[in-house]
Amino acid sequence: MAAARVRGVLWQRAAARLRAGARAASDLPKELMPGPYPRTPEERAAAAKKYNMRVEDYEPYPDDGFGYGDYPKLPDRSLHERDPWYQWDQQDMRHNWGQPMHWDFDMYIRNRVDTSPTPVPWHTMRKHFLIFLTTMLIMFGVGEMYPSYRPVGPKQYPFNNLYLERGGDPNKEPPEVKHYEI
Amino acid sequence: MAARPEGGSAAEAYGSNRYVSLPAELDPATYDASPEKRRAEAERLAIRAQLKRQYQLQLNDPHRPAVIEDPALIRWAYARTQNVYPTFRPTPKTSFLGALYAIGPILFWIYVFKTDRDRREKLIQEGKYKRPLSLF
Repeated sequence: MAAARVRGVLWQRAAARLRAGARAASDLPKELMPGPYPRTPEERAAAAKKYNMRVEDYEPYPDDGFGYGDYPKLPDRSLHERDPWYQWDQQDMRHNWGQPMHWDFDMYIRNRVDTSPTPVPWHTMRKHFLIFLTTMLIMFGVGEMYPSYRPVGPKQYPFNNLYLERGGDPNKEPPEVKHYEI
Repeated sequence: MAARPEGGSAAEAYGSNRYVSLPAELDPATYDASPEKRRAEAERLAIRAQLKRQYQLQLNDPHRPAVIEDPALIRWAYARTQNVYPTFRPTPKTSFLGALYAIGPILFWIYVFKTDRDRREKLIQEGKYKRPLSLF
């Protein structure tokens, strides 16, 4: 079968290696799976070949014990920057079959983080935003400390302070209410 | 709009960081046509063409499998899930970060809740605590 001879689809050998704690039979053999950090140049070359990269391009994550293993450290660029007019194998993901995926691939998809170059430099945008934010916060703070409203007084009701509406006796003389002084 | 540094290039004035990348027009590598770069590009193209050919062979195969497995995707998923524990190593940095993210929030919230409750208890004992409106 031509399909079985294609590099990576070696399901017959993978099935024969099934043992307790092993991966599924549909997975790739152990040589083609990610492994520990490469120490010797031969391991590096083998890892670069495994990930379909040039040996000069292959750069693993630093061996800090963070759990990256020999996975390549690709540039932190989102999918927005990949050519939209090139015929990718997966056009929406802008990804070719077999091309090594970034560790944070799911973060850099076109719905999410975008690292494409902006028309205005980042430091200019940050400066303008911080100036606006600090100005607004300072003004709001000053407004809280020294509030300023139009002067108000108690509400003035007509008809002797609504004497009859408040249940006053209609036969009696209502008390005079003066709201102003001329 | 950005001030030019003395003797600096437009790329430096732009100031690309990990949130934005340099535009191709300002990147000196775009205008580099040295033989080394062209050989590197040719090698990358050769690898890419080989992969494209393998994919097209599988795609146009009349007996093609229902799902054409992408080994890059399998490796990516394996590296992010099952390859982390075997390659993890306790170092000062990983131990510190682990304590910070796992134990730090617990201690922080213990402190916050305890001080808040102590303050409220003290106010209740002094009789100054204003009960908030409760709907239950």
